[in-house]
Amino acid sequence: MSIYAVKTTASQEQTVADMIATKEEDEIHAVLSPDSLTSYVMVEADGTAALERLFDEIPHARSIVPGESGLAEVEHFLSPTPDVEGIAEGDIVELIAGPFQGEKARVQRIDEGKDQVTVELYEATVPIPVTVRGDQIRVLDSEER
Amino acid sequence: MAADRLACRECHFVNEADSQTCENCGSSSLTEDWAGYVIVSHPEESEIATEMNVSDPGSYALKVR
Repeated sequence: MSIYAVKTTASQEQTVADMIATKEEDEIHAVLSPDSLTSYVMVEADGTAALERLFDEIPHARSIVPGESGLAEVEHFLSPTPDVEGIAEGDIVELIAGPFQGEKARVQRIDEGKDQVTVELYEATVPIPVTVRGDQIRVLDSEER
Repeated sequence: MAADRLACRECHFVNEADSQTCENCGSSSLTEDWAGYVIVSHPEESEIATEMNVSDPGSYALKVR
């Protein structure tokens, strides 16, 4: 059993994954569409024969990448690391989404369970703690580095 | 991303947008804030399903917030 990559139109990964899976081919066992992998879906199948057969019926599927990969290469997609990993208290971060987009802030507290970070905006005259999601910030300067 | 569909916080199963409870485990803790998507069609033959500890066919979210 191997894992094959199918190139798709950008942001249509889930649509393609759904369509591959709904064809109910016996040789296709699972379809993987990780958030961090744009324009590709990974298909676990016994061979490319079934994929090639239904390939023409699927809009947004561009090509089948030649060659195959194993589970070891997609394993890290299956257990995503929390977004807050690599962020430490005291880090200078920039908010990249939400109402405070573009503002710089200092990390006050990290909630790993909820994947949230509480930051204090730099330019605010009064310190106001703002809680944002881990994927909405970018680390600019870390004390550990 | 089909963000309007709801993922179960307990088993990561992806349910229809108007679901009240999870079709897979019956939990009512559903969220539309999820990322990463896996469809398992043959769990007994799939290495991905084994790795994810999934025994029922269906679609699952990789990350549920």
